[in-house]
Amino acid sequence: MSLVGPLLLATFLFCVGIYGVIARRNAVLVLISVELMLNAVNINLVAFQNLLFPDELAVSGLMFALFIIGVAAAEVGVGLAIVFNMFRNRASVNVDDVDLMRW
Amino acid sequence: MEALLDYAWLVVVLPLASAVAITAFGKNLPWKGSELGIASLAISWVLSVLIAYQTFIMSPMEEPVEFSYEWAPMGSEFVFELGMLVDGLTAVMLLLVTTVSLMVHIYSREYMHGEKRFTYFFAMLSLFTFSMLLLVIANNLVQAVVGWELVGVCSYLLIGFYWEEKSNQDAANKAFLTTKFADIGLIVGVVVLSAGMFGLDTSTPFNIREINAAATAGELSTTTVVLGMLMIFLGCMAKSGQMPLHVWLPDAMAGPTPVSALIHAATMVTAGVFVLARLFPVLAQSLVVMNVIAVVGVITLFFGGLLALVQDDIKKVLAYSTVSQLGYMVAAIGVGGYTASVFHLFTHGFFKALLFLGAGSLIHAVHSNNMSDMGGMAKAMPYTFVTFIIGTLALAGFPLTAGFFSKDEILIAGEIWAGAGFATGHLVYWVGIAAAFVTTFYMARACFLIFAGESRSHHPPHESGKQMVGPLVVLAVLSIASGYIFSPVWTAEQNFETWTETEFITEETVYPFAADADDAAEDQGEAVGTPGGIQGDGVLAAGSEPSVLAAAEDGELTVLHGAPTWHFDLLALLLVVFFAAVGVAWKFYGKGPPDRDPTMQMGRVTTVLVNKYGFDEFGYRFIVVPVRDTMSRAASYSSNVLIDGAVSGVGRMTKNAAFATYRVLDQKVIDGGVNGAAFSAAWWSERLKRTQSGNVQRYAAALVAGTIVLVVAFAAAT
Repeated sequence: MSLVGPLLLATFLFCVGIYGVIARRNAVLVLISVELMLNAVNINLVAFQNLLFPDELAVSGLMFALFIIGVAAAEVGVGLAIVFNMFRNRASVNVDDVDLMRW
Repeated sequence: MEALLDYAWLVVVLPLASAVAITAFGKNLPWKGSELGIASLAISWVLSVLIAYQTFIMSPMEEPVEFSYEWAPMGSEFVFELGMLVDGLTAVMLLLVTTVSLMVHIYSREYMHGEKRFTYFFAMLSLFTFSMLLLVIANNLVQAVVGWELVGVCSYLLIGFYWEEKSNQDAANKAFLTTKFADIGLIVGVVVLSAGMFGLDTSTPFNIREINAAATAGELSTTTVVLGMLMIFLGCMAKSGQMPLHVWLPDAMAGPTPVSALIHAATMVTAGVFVLARLFPVLAQSLVVMNVIAVVGVITLFFGGLLALVQDDIKKVLAYSTVSQLGYMVAAIGVGGYTASVFHLFTHGFFKALLFLGAGSLIHAVHSNNMSDMGGMAKAMPYTFVTFIIGTLALAGFPLTAGFFSKDEILIAGEIWAGAGFATGHLVYWVGIAAAFVTTFYMARACFLIFAGESRSHHPPHESGKQMVGPLVVLAVLSIASGYIFSPVWTAEQNFETWTETEFITEETVYPFAADADDAAEDQGEAVGTPGGIQGDGVLAAGSEPSVLAAAEDGELTVLHGAPTWHFDLLALLLVVFFAAVGVAWKFYGKGPPDRDPTMQMGRVTTVLVNKYGFDEFGYRFIVVPVRDTMSRAASYSSNVLIDGAVSGVGRMTKNAAFATYRVLDQKVIDGGVNGAAFSAAWWSERLKRTQSGNVQRYAAALVAGTIVLVVAFAAAT
């Protein structure tokens, strides 16, 4: 089984995620873009697991992918909480408005 | 009693203490400080007498008392000493100096009475006495030079005592500069001698006894001896008024008369003779040195005496007489008359001090130095008259006075020297007799002008007080008595000669060059060194008296001539000379001063004498003028332009360099660096702070960019 398809897909997703993180102004969309990047990694992990150890389902790659999904869920929870607070304080979810750490 | 000699330094230190004390609080004392000087000198005198007695009964001293401590250790075991050397010669000088100084101190109390610098005068007298004693007691040449220079300074200060008058200042400067010039010779000579000593195994190359020992042992090279002693003799020439460096001595009479008596007649001017006597074992190594000394002495004793003929100032007469007598002493050294020279130094000190103090008494009475203002003083001043006449007789060498014994001794020394085949001996003998005529004549002239005839004074003359007459009487007694110390009345075992002999000059000491000369002389005439040989030379010596010629016996010329004996032939000759001179003087001056002084009518001779042989003129034209007008200008130029220019140039350069350093290095480089660092930090921070935008997305973009760069770099590396 060729790796080209999954890797291309992962790359595409990762690039979309990076673009979203850097370019989008909406904080919710930035969070979603982060999820895209994590998923690109998951695809990579599953693809290589499939290629290298096709018979050992209990090991490594798949487990990593599951952990990442869990961590991503927690991350989204924290991230959304921050976004809510932000919205509550400023009535906006535009990340450009949040520059308190400026010089 | 012998332990007393260990305390001889007290004699020296006491006058110093008195000089200091007089300076410190003399003015507040009832006698204005003079009592301190007289008291300290009296103690010194008593000590000197005891020391003299002690050394005399111990004479000949096998081992002189020497005592010194390290003054300045110079490293590598080379030491400057400060010490004392007490033997007969030292004792004689101590006795002479303290006696005359004490007399002068007492005399000055009355003579200087009412002077505004009375206390200063006594301080200087005491300081001078200390300096002179320091010189005579020195056990090494460095200390002797120190004393020598100190007496020069005191002499300078006392000649210029009446400094309000320009001529007195000039006289002081002349004296100081003339002697100072020759002192260079003395110092060079001392260095040359000690340089010769450095090669030998000694840590004290300046020690007089060691130098004498080395010289007698023949360890000093001929060059060292000749050069060293000639240089030292140059110093002695100026100090002891030998021609042509005597020119300062007559001018030195500008000082107060007691000063003339003490410094310029009795003590300081004999310092040169003393040094020559001290180093006699060294100079006796070289015939060249002795001949030079003899010739200079002979020239001085004759031509110096002639100058006294044309003087009207009584002090000038005595000054030239001093020059002449010093010539006798130096000439005696030059013809091996060591004892005779020291003896004449000793007696001359007394009678010349007497004459000067007598002259001071006269001057005090008539308020003038000139003999033309005196006359007829015999009646008014009987004590002064009698003592002055005694001094004159002693100076003229009248039989049985001190001068007779000492001057004859010099002539006999010349005779013995001639007998050994040295021409300078004849010179000293015959010129000495001729100068005796001159001496007698000018002294007789002075006495007739002063004491005979009618008074020409504007002040009625009066006898001086007790304090002036007392010293005159004492010195008059000494002027007769001091001669008997070396007369036939003493035993052969103990007399002046054994007293002043040192361990290097003993009965057996022979001149190193005498053996050759004897041989040479024996080749020419026969049996030189026997009485007959001397008679063959045409000298009227007592050939039948063997002990006269003891020194020349057995063909050996020893330094000591043995016990003195009577020389009736010489006595007769000198008596004839004496009476001839007095007779001639009586003819011209006996009946009051002639309208036209015959000494002023000798044509060319008078001109030459009045011009003092042109020495002063020569000195003025070729030394004073060039030095004053050319050298002083050059010195001023070098000082004001060259040295000051160099100094201020260096100052300016330093200032400019400092300013340049300040402007460039400090302001630009260092300050610029520091400020620049600060400014650049501010400039960069202003720009770099913009990256801290607070915009998270930019940070993320930067992160991504960095990651990409790293990935690409790793990819490229692999």
